Amino acid sequence: MLFETKMQENRAYKNFSYLGKAFHLMGAFFLDTSVGRLFKLFIQSFFAIFSKKRSFTADSRNIINQVFFTGVEIFPVLFVVATLFGAVIIIEVISMMSKVGFSDVVGDLMVIAIIRELGPVFTAFLIAGRSGSALTTYIGSMAINSEVDALASMGIDPIRYLVTPALIGGILAVFIMTVLFSFSGVFAGFLVTKALIYIGGDLINIQITWSYLSSAILDSLTIADFFLMVLKPVVFACIIVTNASYQGLSIQKDIRQVPKATSRSVIYSFLYIVIADVLLSSFYIFQYLGEISKII
Amino acid sequence: MKNKALIVQNLYFDYMEVLSSKKTVKPSFLNLNGLFGAVFENKKKEIFKNLSFSVNIGETICIAGPSGHGKSAFLKIVAGIVKPQRGDFYYFGEYLPLERFSALEVAERQVGLVFQNGALISNLRVRDNIALPLRYHGRYSESEVKEKVNMAMDLMRVRGEADHFPHTLSVGVKKRVAIARAWAMDPKLLLLDEPTSGLDNYNRNNLLPLIDNMRQLFNTTIVIVTHDLLLAEELNSDLVFLQNQKFTAPKSFNEWLNSEESVPRELFRNIRTVF
Repeated sequence: MLFETKMQENRAYKNFSYLGKAFHLMGAFFLDTSVGRLFKLFIQSFFAIFSKKRSFTADSRNIINQVFFTGVEIFPVLFVVATLFGAVIIIEVISMMSKVGFSDVVGDLMVIAIIRELGPVFTAFLIAGRSGSALTTYIGSMAINSEVDALASMGIDPIRYLVTPALIGGILAVFIMTVLFSFSGVFAGFLVTKALIYIGGDLINIQITWSYLSSAILDSLTIADFFLMVLKPVVFACIIVTNASYQGLSIQKDIRQVPKATSRSVIYSFLYIVIADVLLSSFYIFQYLGEISKII
Repeated sequence: MKNKALIVQNLYFDYMEVLSSKKTVKPSFLNLNGLFGAVFENKKKEIFKNLSFSVNIGETICIAGPSGHGKSAFLKIVAGIVKPQRGDFYYFGEYLPLERFSALEVAERQVGLVFQNGALISNLRVRDNIALPLRYHGRYSESEVKEKVNMAMDLMRVRGEADHFPHTLSVGVKKRVAIARAWAMDPKLLLLDEPTSGLDNYNRNNLLPLIDNMRQLFNTTIVIVTHDLLLAEELNSDLVFLQNQKFTAPKSFNEWLNSEESVPRELFRNIRTVF
């Protein structure tokens, strides 16, 4: 009986041709998976930006709050992590490369390690761990107190009100934080290295000057690096915010679900970020393969 | 049909769907419930079966009955928050098919719901809570919003708590704020879930003229779920009971008082001794 009513809802589906049915089934199957639902939520929250109910003042206030919460409050931790990480990479790369006689690839390695890979991924991890989990708990407790239902019953789209400002604010914050991570990794990392050399004396036997490091890094930066420096944070921020909101919104009225959803939010954000990073970095792999074929 | 604010016909709803309401976003052709229906059949708790309900425009109707029999669930279904398995819904004579049945669609037809716990947005002050839907829908200018919010707060006597956050308020004050928020939106159909529970006698008696005003001045249709049977008497409205997954016919308070049916008999026992 239930089956019949559900089939009646899908009247349009009956009129499709076989090919159409196959595509319909594939699309519906994709949207039924958890990744598909995430994708659906992302599309909904993205197009909610253009909904009729937009109001510039309220939105900009929400977005500024989000940027402040997501980005600015995490900056001290991020700065320390970036600085120490930058220093470790500078010391290891320079001491190792001069040993094996590849001193000319120092700049390449710095760009690969800090600017291409670790900067975006580390920033995304930090923000997923802090702001993603916070967003899940916030939306989840709203769902438990039936505040999400109350929003909907007042005609306020919960996705428009809760997810969209977090999405825009998240994109801005992750982008700014990634740029700051790369900069502080290189600049402050260099200063820490110098300080360690000054303190350690002969223990750290490396020669490094700012002009050498900066020119090496600037030489090995390509257009693709700048392009991906924008693209990666945007993709990661979409993943973090959509996943965190999805986990929060899918909580039933059960307080035991909140910790589970929060941990799911963080872990799945990590997983999707790494997968997306591999996909985005495959650009470099193809580039590298092209260069090899040229040499051969 | 024209003078009906709400008609619900042929409503079927069971508890399994509440538990798995996340699955309602599923595309319906992958119907596990349909395939494995027999497996879940035993766990199903039928709440409504072929239930029908209707209320005229401008009418006030009270719903009573033993607790745990789905009175609040009925209000949530009417507000579109919970989607039933079957049912035909007409809001102000307009048919709303189940495919498009959602809280946002229902709210567009100016249906307001006051939750049992108030459901105030916890990170907004009382003032902003009341102003939130008004600002979001953008029907009023900022000065009009302020005026309307102040008026709503004065009506429900929560002006003193205007700058408090919801977690600092008591249950009764929360409820009053929630009613003020619903009032400010000028609903055509207002659903109140236990409006008088948690209110002291003074505020309860203040609520009654407000409800009366709404139906006199704005011709608002009001559906009240309550255990406070005297409310029906004081508002001079009809009373229906939820019994055996169906509503009884609406009758006035005095008719029920002398009725011999089992559920009203139980619920009116204390009141009979007084009258």
